[in-house]
Amino acid sequence: MAKTYDYLFKLLLIGDSGVGKTCVLFRFSEDAFNTTFISTIGIDFKIRTIDLDGKKIKLQIWDTAGQERFRTITTAYYRGAMGIMLVYDITNEKSFENIKNWIRNIEENASADVEKMLLGNKCELEEKRQVSRERGEQLAIEYGIKFIETSAKASIRVEEAFFTLARDIKTKMEKKLKEASNPPKGGHQLRASEPQKKPTSWLSRCTLL
Amino acid sequence: METEPDEYHDCFMQDGVLLKQAPSSHMTALNTIGTLYIYEVTRSGESCNKKLLLEWKQNDITVDSDVQYQEWAVVNTVQKRIRTLSENMPEHHNRSKSLKINFDEIKSFKVCNKNRQLTFYDGTSERICGFLFQHGNCEHLVGMLKTILKVGVSRRDKQIYVVYDSNSPEFQELNRSFAALNLKNEDNSFWHMFKHFKENPYEGSLGAFAKVTNFVYRSVEGSDPDILSRDELYSSITELDDGVPHSGGEYEVINALPQLPRRKEFPRCNPLTEEQWRSQFNSLGQLEDVDSIKNLIFRGGVSPTIRKEVWKFLLDYFPWDSTDLDRQQLINKKNEEYYVMKLQWKSISQKQEDNFSDYAQRKCQVIKDVNRTDRTLEFYAGDNNINIQTLGDILMTYVMYNFDLGYVQGMSDLLSPILWLMQDENDSFWCFVGFMEKVMSNFDIDQAGMKEQLTQLRVLLSFIDPVLANYLEKHDCGNMFFCFRWLLVWFKRELNQDDILRFWEVLWTGYPCHNFHLLVSVAILEHESEALMENDNGFTEILKYINELSGKLNMELMLNKAEGIYNQIKEADHLTDSVRSILGLPLIGTKNRGSEEQSSQQESPFESPDLSTPRTEPCCSVDNVRISPDEIAFEKSISSSFL
Ligand SMILES: Nc1nc2c(ncn2[C@@H]2O[C@H](COP(=O)(O)OP(=O)(O)O)[C@@H](O)[C@H]2O)c(=O)[nH]1
Ligand SMILES: [Mg+2]
Repeated sequence: MAKTYDYLFKLLLIGDSGVGKTCVLFRFSEDAFNTTFISTIGIDFKIRTIDLDGKKIKLQIWDTAGQERFRTITTAYYRGAMGIMLVYDITNEKSFENIKNWIRNIEENASADVEKMLLGNKCELEEKRQVSRERGEQLAIEYGIKFIETSAKASIRVEEAFFTLARDIKTKMEKKLKEASNPPKGGHQLRASEPQKKPTSWLSRCTLL
Repeated sequence: METEPDEYHDCFMQDGVLLKQAPSSHMTALNTIGTLYIYEVTRSGESCNKKLLLEWKQNDITVDSDVQYQEWAVVNTVQKRIRTLSENMPEHHNRSKSLKINFDEIKSFKVCNKNRQLTFYDGTSERICGFLFQHGNCEHLVGMLKTILKVGVSRRDKQIYVVYDSNSPEFQELNRSFAALNLKNEDNSFWHMFKHFKENPYEGSLGAFAKVTNFVYRSVEGSDPDILSRDELYSSITELDDGVPHSGGEYEVINALPQLPRRKEFPRCNPLTEEQWRSQFNSLGQLEDVDSIKNLIFRGGVSPTIRKEVWKFLLDYFPWDSTDLDRQQLINKKNEEYYVMKLQWKSISQKQEDNFSDYAQRKCQVIKDVNRTDRTLEFYAGDNNINIQTLGDILMTYVMYNFDLGYVQGMSDLLSPILWLMQDENDSFWCFVGFMEKVMSNFDIDQAGMKEQLTQLRVLLSFIDPVLANYLEKHDCGNMFFCFRWLLVWFKRELNQDDILRFWEVLWTGYPCHNFHLLVSVAILEHESEALMENDNGFTEILKYINELSGKLNMELMLNKAEGIYNQIKEADHLTDSVRSILGLPLIGTKNRGSEEQSSQQESPFESPDLSTPRTEPCCSVDNVRISPDEIAFEKSISSSFL
């Protein structure tokens, strides 16, 4: 069966329970919002294939339960991720403060070169805002990552967020690919089929066509 | 090959044995399937020169194993088959690889991975080789080894058997006088084994081995039997579980599964009627025959008209033997108790809350979750729904009732149908308490309970459907993590409201065995096995498939199948104690000889923890020093599922 995409990227949504990870994902994958949503138990993922500069990119986006209790199980999934969306709720100070902990979690569990991005969700709830835009930006600068405020409910910049993250991964990957195919011997060295025992980088696990 | 070997007696064989570790000379055979033999070689003309050999032979890839091996379809029949090398046995085919192990070289061996993995060590901390038993486990083989070799259980790690050295002076002494041997108390096992060996030298076809005198003992005094350090063990375990790509999948024909009894049908019955229920009470309002009531409920559930009342018994709010009067008093008492606890948290001021982050955190999570619980049901729908408020109040009161456990996601799912049915805050709370008692370990801080259940599910599945279990193992799904949601909230997310009420009341009876919900899971997996194994599905596809079964499961059929499976297991000849303990069946001590039963009770790794403690120890924290291979395998397989 022929593959219908050029690249497969695995992304991960993390952040406190209730910040809207599942809703953001649902907005991106089905372009819908549902107020009768249920909390996430265990893990799940959704797929959406996007077009990016002429390449078809299949995004496999993993959604996890946010509660501390389940972290022993969910952190195991960090390791395969190429991009991570860190989500907080702009109407919830605590969820913003916790971003630091989530970042530490990533550093401990994900590969070092994973692309990260900060999302301040529920941005349509201006009247309930507890975390200013500036603070979000500031934190992102601190960590050297990109930042966007979104609303899953009002469908604000959710597409933009995922496209941005996907593009950054693609750029990084193509750069590495180029480097890898240039050395004296040439040829592709990064192949998905080559078993790699302890990949230092997600790049070695990219599915290439 | 040896020079002129004359006669070979097969003493033991087991197929479906995967070579997991081997010396470099046998690297190419790694991860291929073969058969393990123990046989006795008698050299020509020297009837007393008998030697025992352990040999693993790769299944011949050119042989249609389905046909060829059928006559050996039973694992571990101690056969007395006489053959010579020249005979055209399939396993002697040129192309198959074989690996011989001299019993003299074995210094210790380790049994792990729920008795499915056996590794031999040669004492220089180099592994000789390791085997993974894909069908069943290595209990029989270990039983054989214990008879052939003189072994004791390592004091540091009960999974390790240490082989006592030959030619040591201690042994000579031992031979001279048993009484002279100063056995320490903790070496009872060794003593028993030795005694047993002397008194009962494996009669029958094994009689000859006992006379073979090339195994000798080293005294347990003085020398420490632990030849492997913990670190070495650790690395060997982790290496074991490193996902070396498996080759040769296409000819891994499972050819000798132990036969399960034929599966019977257990049609579901009608729900317990109001009439049946009422007729069971005596004049004091006591239930006369609790067992038969429970049995009826197990068979068909409860009719909706009496459900509210029956659930209070099923969830241990009302004791089964209580009278009308008892219950009246109980309700009053519990009512008071509930409102006292509710008042405790209701009276916490905002200021207090700000200074009490453990409490605030729990409260915050409860509020988030009740707003995402069953909102599609009319009962919980709409803004400012009073029942959502009640749901939250009960959960918060539960936080006060069990603050250490607190609120964990999933609990609101468990409470929701109860409140929906009871429509009473106090009754719902106490019924919920009863439900939580049954599933408490699902919410362990370290998730040990969930990990244990997933491991148990894997054990049961390999017993019932080894082909599927094997497939999952090889496709990074051995951790069974894709069933996490099923087990955490007892299928709440998979079934509609009507079905969940029926399903839970059936399970609450505790019939016909412990962990029946795991058998239900096995039934579903088996039912879906073809789809699961399609297209070389890996973890991602399987998780997706399982998650999407939500809303499509036929609950009555699942229960029917699960009961059929239970009966198959119960009647299986090769039923092991590991399976027994999961289902709460009496343990028999899975042994070759009944007489060993007593002696091996303390040290055998096959014995499961005492059943009188309903919750077995979590697999991953048996004690803080020992490394549980299951735990590592679990973490490993989770993390490797992405690679
Ligand atoms: N107002 C508003 N509410 C949202 C938004 N996204 C999610 N929510 C609500 O926040 C709650 C938690 O959302 P969910 O996606 O389940 O959070 P998760 O635990 O991070 O997956 C739900 O009640 C959603 O309806 C948003 O963009 N705006
Ligand atoms: Mg979620």
